[in-house]
Amino acid sequence: MNDFIDPDVSEVTINKKSELPLVWLLPLIALLVSGWLIAKSYSEKGPVITISFPTAEGLEVDKTKIKYLNVEIGKVTAISISDDLKAIQITAQMNSSAAGYLNQNTNFWVVRPQVGLGGISGLGTLLSGPYIAIKPGDGPREKHFVGLTTPPLLKNDAEGTHFILETNNLGSMRPGTPINFHGITVGEVLSHKLSDEANAIRLTVFINKPYDQFIRKNTRFWIDSGVDLSASADGFKVRTGPLISLLSGGIAFRASAEDTIEDVQPENTTFQLYDTYEQSTQMVYQNTLKYVMYFNGSVRGLTVGAPVQLRGIPIGRVTDINLELDKKTAEIHIPVTVELEPDRIQEINNDNHISDKDIMTRLINKGLRAQLQTGSLLTGQLLVDLDFHPKSKIVLSDNRSVYPEFPTTASSLDQFTHSANIIMDKVAKLPLEDLTAEANRTLQSLQHTSKAATGMLTTAQGTLDTADKTMSSAHQVLSILEPGSTTHYELDRLLQELTQAASSVKELTDYLEQNPNSLIRGKKEQ
Amino acid sequence: MNSKKSALAQGFIRCHDCGCLSRKSEKNRLCPLCSGQLHPRMSNSLQRTAALLLSAFCLYIPANIFPIMTVTRLGVGEPHTIIGGIIALINGGMVPIALLVLVASILVPLLKLLGLGLLLLNVHYRWQDHARKWTIMYRIIAFVGRWSMLDIFMISILVSLVDMGGVAQVLAGPAATAFAAVVVLTMFAAKNFDPRLIWDNQY
Repeated sequence: MNDFIDPDVSEVTINKKSELPLVWLLPLIALLVSGWLIAKSYSEKGPVITISFPTAEGLEVDKTKIKYLNVEIGKVTAISISDDLKAIQITAQMNSSAAGYLNQNTNFWVVRPQVGLGGISGLGTLLSGPYIAIKPGDGPREKHFVGLTTPPLLKNDAEGTHFILETNNLGSMRPGTPINFHGITVGEVLSHKLSDEANAIRLTVFINKPYDQFIRKNTRFWIDSGVDLSASADGFKVRTGPLISLLSGGIAFRASAEDTIEDVQPENTTFQLYDTYEQSTQMVYQNTLKYVMYFNGSVRGLTVGAPVQLRGIPIGRVTDINLELDKKTAEIHIPVTVELEPDRIQEINNDNHISDKDIMTRLINKGLRAQLQTGSLLTGQLLVDLDFHPKSKIVLSDNRSVYPEFPTTASSLDQFTHSANIIMDKVAKLPLEDLTAEANRTLQSLQHTSKAATGMLTTAQGTLDTADKTMSSAHQVLSILEPGSTTHYELDRLLQELTQAASSVKELTDYLEQNPNSLIRGKKEQ
Repeated sequence: MNSKKSALAQGFIRCHDCGCLSRKSEKNRLCPLCSGQLHPRMSNSLQRTAALLLSAFCLYIPANIFPIMTVTRLGVGEPHTIIGGIIALINGGMVPIALLVLVASILVPLLKLLGLGLLLLNVHYRWQDHARKWTIMYRIIAFVGRWSMLDIFMISILVSLVDMGGVAQVLAGPAATAFAAVVVLTMFAAKNFDPRLIWDNQY
């Protein structure tokens, strides 16, 4: 190297030997470091996958991440339109750590901000833009995926149980609708679909782990949404669920005290979802008797579901109200079908040989009649009341329904109207004009009488004045005679003297009695 | 070609420590004045320079292919390589700043590496021409070396200043370390190069 420097300077040679290996360590280290960095970054690169989505809204090359549990495991590297021009295809570079997730049943979906009444989700994506979420699945390795348009039912493997709820009306139920148990949110609706017969909607719900044990045999589910304002024959009722379900709807359930831990229901058991809390509390009686009733008059205010009461205790309900027109006789019938639940009545002296129907027949023969009654004056709702009217006859109509007829009697309101009508008729028959003429005459004579009375009253006034004067004179006289006055004193003296005179006369007479002769001879000297 | 000659060409060795001139001879290994060891030129200059330069070359590659920093604004983070940052600046309409970054971060280190490499080749193969121009080039390289630290300086300030959690955050990437190493190594390389070697053998 430094051979141009004079070779006789020996230090140079010495230094050369000692320094050579140390200096050359430096590029070796640099090479190792950069090599390691490059190798590391290459080893971190996992497989390249493609995902199809219907739209690339919000997705950006090199910016949109692929995340699992909010941990970045990949990045979108290219967005292209698929060959059939119907979807887009995303090419994504995954991390090597994500290689294990990329199986056939792995799901991808785009997380965008969602603002709903039930809550706000994906708020972070509002600023950062949407990202692609992944739910690992099993199956063989796969490199081409079809992205989901909606997030999958369960984003993680929470422990719990799935159940099926059947309802007639989806209402505001949707995936994510909370399920409350005594006000605690314990699960959510995962999906809904029409049943195979298309006569009901089947909701798949998920109840989280510690609470799924309360889903037992007699557990009742009901829609606990909003304000439940019901106006029935029982009056007004207001029931509200939790605030969240007030806004976005919800399902609630309650366990029955009758159930024990053995009654816990297995996965995917089907339950009925009741529309209201009220409905869910009603017992379901399997043993029912159906009757048809024909009422005279209007049934306005009677609705399907109206209670049938026996002396005020509900024992059934109205299931159907129809309007029939007999084309021959041009008569209108209103058959009201009711469902009686004999099990609601506790039986005593039970004789098993008699069927419920026979008992009913006996009761009808004893005078049990149906009657329309106003349940609530406020709402005008009617109910069917059963009671004994032993005097009423069994009046049966031309019953064409499949159910036996239950005799009815006019409602008390009808009876009242009827009596009122009779009275009104009688009132109408009264000779009102004659009566008024007579009354006129009487009034005229009364007028004359009153005039005469006025004259008399004037005279009486004069008399009264005179009487007044007399009274005042009398008053004066009396005041003279008051004790302490001179007259009084003199009168007193007079009376004393009179008394003395009288006693003298008495003495005289006594003397004369004893000595009558003194009248002639005079008083003898004693 | 040049009438003026270097000290060594005239048979003198200048002591690095005390500056005492002594005539070079076989026995004269120590400085007569301060007893320090005498070196006619910086010892192993070419070897050291070559080694440092090679290390810088090795690190220059990761410095350019890896992200130098990640700027996170409102949760949106995007790692940038040096080139990527320049492209982003151009797209953002900030061409002058892009040019500045281009010069400071790419051209200067690259030219430094190439220039030092050429100087090494020059000395090794004794290209006798234009010694003056080679020297000027060396001076430029030695002067400009520290200015490449501008990028690193900026990143280190940003990392410490812009740390507002979710609102904005700047994180240095692996390339920043590599780049800093490149700059430091090239500075050492330039420092270790003895420009007098260009002028030797000019007779």
